[in-house]
Amino acid sequence: MPVYLPIAEMSVDAGLLLGIGLGVGWLSGLFGVGGGFLLTPLLILIGIPAPVAVASGANQTLGASVSGLIAQWRRGNVDARMGCVLLVAGLAGSFAGTQLFVLLRRLGQVDLAVSLFYVVVLGTVGALMVRESVRAIFRRRRAAPARTHQHSWLHGLPFKMRFRQSRLYISVIPPALVGFGIGILSAIMGVGGGFMLVPAMIYVLGMPTGTTIGTSLFQVTFVSANVTLLQAVQTGSVDVVLTLLLLAGGVAGAQFGAAMGTKLRGEETRALLGLLVLAVAISLLVALVRTPGSLYLLGPAT
Amino acid sequence: MRAAVLAAPLLAAALLAGPAQAQRDGQAGPPPQAGPALAAELAQPRIAVDTAFTGADLLVFGATDRLLGPAGDNVVVLGLGEPRDVVVRRRVRRLGIWVNGPSARFREVPNYYALAATAPVAGLLDEPARRERRLGLDVLTARLPGPRDTEFRQALIDLKRSADQWNEEEAPVEVSGGRLFHARLPLPSTIATGDYVVQVMLVRANRIIARQELSFRVDRVGATARIANFSRGEPFLYGLACVALAALAGWLGSVVFRRG
Repeated sequence: MPVYLPIAEMSVDAGLLLGIGLGVGWLSGLFGVGGGFLLTPLLILIGIPAPVAVASGANQTLGASVSGLIAQWRRGNVDARMGCVLLVAGLAGSFAGTQLFVLLRRLGQVDLAVSLFYVVVLGTVGALMVRESVRAIFRRRRAAPARTHQHSWLHGLPFKMRFRQSRLYISVIPPALVGFGIGILSAIMGVGGGFMLVPAMIYVLGMPTGTTIGTSLFQVTFVSANVTLLQAVQTGSVDVVLTLLLLAGGVAGAQFGAAMGTKLRGEETRALLGLLVLAVAISLLVALVRTPGSLYLLGPAT
Repeated sequence: MRAAVLAAPLLAAALLAGPAQAQRDGQAGPPPQAGPALAAELAQPRIAVDTAFTGADLLVFGATDRLLGPAGDNVVVLGLGEPRDVVVRRRVRRLGIWVNGPSARFREVPNYYALAATAPVAGLLDEPARRERRLGLDVLTARLPGPRDTEFRQALIDLKRSADQWNEEEAPVEVSGGRLFHARLPLPSTIATGDYVVQVMLVRANRIIARQELSFRVDRVGATARIANFSRGEPFLYGLACVALAALAGWLGSVVFRRG
């Protein structure tokens, strides 16, 4: 059934949007990521103008994250204290990232910069996750005892804080730095940043996989609410009809994903997310390298 | 569904006696009888874009005082949208990846263009006449202010055609009963809101002897209009509403699926 989107100013099949929402929502619940890194390229692929895809993608991410967050909260998987530290630093980081974005636009290569950012960041994160989780799976097969976390220089920093839900007693500096860095990246790439946050919490902060998913959803919910509001005011490109159609599929998918996530082992979840992130990075790289169908592009004069 | 009104030829006959007065350009001899040489009308003065809009056909119809056809007169219909400035960019390969390279800026490019005629326009009018009235994408783009590079002009035509925003002589103007004509201008679902002009021209002996200018509007209506106006008028409140609606949808989903 075709439906006309008031802000995108075009007609799209509602069933297609419901299907995309369902798939991305399922991954969102399963891995604790907002799914923006998948959703935005998919929307652009079906012909939605890029600014509308980015802004409405952030809005859909918000809804899907709320749904996933509630499911995770009930299971006691949200470390609200860690989430708040990440969020405050993340908002500061996204402000800094916005300034960097304006600078890149002035240099006239913002499209290329965003594409390269995607390929480099997604490729690195994906490869690291796949490598680590495959190792963890083999270690488990050999029945070797795995340590919960290693002690490193991170544990010698001041301003220690107790994160009871994550069973951690560490300085607030590493989580604040992680939140700030991901805030910068998410502002430039137009995504919530969950796919970077989950591995950072596991590998840098040493949090258990179960808690990282709920905590990441906590952070993504508030960051995407902030992005939605900023986009609505600055660019006016949030399409609420598009968002709600994506969400109708997305909330259902997120519940199934969250239920399935509890059945998977932590390292299996990480391996699958790593493969997905890697696949998106490779397809974006292919798009950059392959000869385009049309050598010309049409755009409004700025 | 594509909207179209079919009862036009009958209405067209009634119009011959109506008040619509065609302007006469040029001097092609005295009219054989009293009344306008050309009378044309649009089936709808307003195209309403609602949530079910998937594009529409705009019906242009009318009648002439002499017989239409290969041996007689011909009718040319031209639809034009508002002028916009656009940039055409060429992609180039640098260090193995495709980046945006040189660009050409064109001014006053009509955002919609549709041309239809009872016979191929190139055979009806010579090039200066076609250029003056912008009859044909080749003469339209040749006239645009902007760089003279023909590659960029051809790319502009190709891109606009593939977006269904420009079309030329895809379907002819149909003639019935010798003097009644009608044409359908295809409006894509991505059509911009705003004012549009339809020019109907009567061609006799390689000359435009009468011309009538009609106009229509494309407007958003209903929920589509309310959402677009709200987003433009109160962007902060609209953003808050989007946040609240998305959060509500997420919460609803988790409530519904907990029971299930």
